Amino acid sequence: MIEFRNVSKTYSTGTEAVHCANFKINKGDFAFLVGASGSGKSTLIKLILKEEEPTSGNIIINGKDTTFLKKSRVPYLRRSMGVVFQDFRLLPDKTVYENVAFAMYIVRATPRHIRRQVPMVLSLVGLSGKAKMYPNELSGGEQQRVALARALVNNPSMLIADEPTGNLDPETAWDIMTLLDDINKRGTTVVVATHAKDIVDKMKKRVIQIDKGIIIRDSEKGGYNSEV
Amino acid sequence: MKFNIVGYLIGEGFKNTFKNKKSTFSAMLVMCISMLIFGLFFIIGENINHIMQTVENAQAMQVFINLDATDEDIQKLEEELKTIEGISKIEFLSKEDGFADYKEKYGDRSYLIDSYEEFIPDSYIINFTDLKLSGQVLEQVKKLDNVKEITSANEVMDKLVKVTNGIRMVTLLILAGLVIGAIFIIANTIKLTVYARRKEISIMKYVGATNSFIRWPFIVEGMLIGIISACISILIVGGLYRLATNGLLSSATIQNLGITFVSFADMFNMIIIVYLILGIGIGVLGSSMSMRKYLEV
Ligand SMILES: Nc1ncnc2c1ncn2[C@@H]1O[C@H](COP(=O)(O)OP(=O)(O)OP(=O)(O)O)[C@@H](O)[C@H]1O
Ligand SMILES: [Mg+2]
Repeated sequence: MIEFRNVSKTYSTGTEAVHCANFKINKGDFAFLVGASGSGKSTLIKLILKEEEPTSGNIIINGKDTTFLKKSRVPYLRRSMGVVFQDFRLLPDKTVYENVAFAMYIVRATPRHIRRQVPMVLSLVGLSGKAKMYPNELSGGEQQRVALARALVNNPSMLIADEPTGNLDPETAWDIMTLLDDINKRGTTVVVATHAKDIVDKMKKRVIQIDKGIIIRDSEKGGYNSEV
Repeated sequence: MKFNIVGYLIGEGFKNTFKNKKSTFSAMLVMCISMLIFGLFFIIGENINHIMQTVENAQAMQVFINLDATDEDIQKLEEELKTIEGISKIEFLSKEDGFADYKEKYGDRSYLIDSYEEFIPDSYIINFTDLKLSGQVLEQVKKLDNVKEITSANEVMDKLVKVTNGIRMVTLLILAGLVIGAIFIIANTIKLTVYARRKEISIMKYVGATNSFIRWPFIVEGMLIGIISACISILIVGGLYRLATNGLLSSATIQNLGITFVSFADMFNMIIIVYLILGIGIGVLGSSMSMRKYLEV
């Protein structure tokens, strides 16, 4: 599903954010990406999203090498992945329903499909009653659920999250991570970059640890710092 | 929220246009000023052209006689000319005098036409009693025997031709300058909208929106500014033109000269087409320019 082969990334500033990364995340996997601040987690995620190009190496997504993917094809690649960020990135002047429907619009879904699909994902993330509210009327956890609904509404085969719980208190963070686990159990591949040590230790999922751009550990059912 | 793609894209474009009232207004202002200046020069050019045609037919004309016409033929022609209503004066210009006139016109370079002497025919110079009758006189003179060619004998014409050509050049230059200026101003206006909506654009990119999908609302915005400016400008130009010509036509001098103006309806098509092409073209170009940076996510 996602495979990195000897991928390195040096920014134009000269910083080598990723050095010779090799890993493979299979369909249906749940993987944590952990590491200190500045270790290169976000860079890995940007590489997956093809927001940044690798300096060398190959990234294979859904069996296709994206190295030579035309720029005009990138939007279609992105439709196979849902993305959430630490800062939610909702549109403040649109309701919960509209924020989610917006993502379907963009991929030109039919009105009928949108009317059926949006309430379904909203109930999946537990926001059925809040469709008409605006983002500023919601708690942080609820806002992240909207972002998740938006990421999932087009049925992507994978969900990529960069510190999805970074702005949330531990309890809400745990709720969101459990939701991600549920989503994964329904068949979606999930990749989460995070600093949430407690949650990673508790969930016993695959952990890919990166340090100064180098992948130093990749363990099944690992903890944040070491094997459990 | 309506879920119709075309409706959505156009609706967003409209929303953008009216959200940034200040910059939209200033862009429209510049567009309108550009269009008005263009309109002014265009209209002046058209009218000089029109007046020239009237004057050309009006003041006087030179009727060249076939080279092989006999003296009797020439005499007969003069008699016939005299019978035509609307001619005040008929003056014979022999080929020798006519040639001398040409030599004078060419001044230093008169030797250039030396070899053409034998091709210069005799002619009659005709003045009109009433300028308005010139057209009809022309028609009658054309039908007479031994008339080779009729041209204006008015030297003012040459100058007017030069002036009109000059005005056309200036119009084109102004147009070019204004187009470039207006493109940059529109680009700047839309850049503000794009900037205000950069978050939305980046979300769209993450969800997998194609660049063209993202671009459309902004292009609609640019086009809208152009179209609205075109409509405002044509109204202003039309109104002012009517006022100005009505004022001028009521003046005695203009009436005595028999000058008429081109009716605005005759120029309307040309002006509105130029305005719309300008407006839409500038809008689309400007918005495309302003988008480039933000599509790189
Ligand atoms: N656009 C960029 N241009 C230049 N250097 C960058 C850019 N983005 C990141 N970097 C550098 O690359 C390195 C890795 O950054 P990255 O954002 O991937 O770290 P991170 O693991 O996500 O950190 P955090 O946990 O704080 O989010 C850092 O040294 C950072 O300064
Ligand atoms: Mg990061």
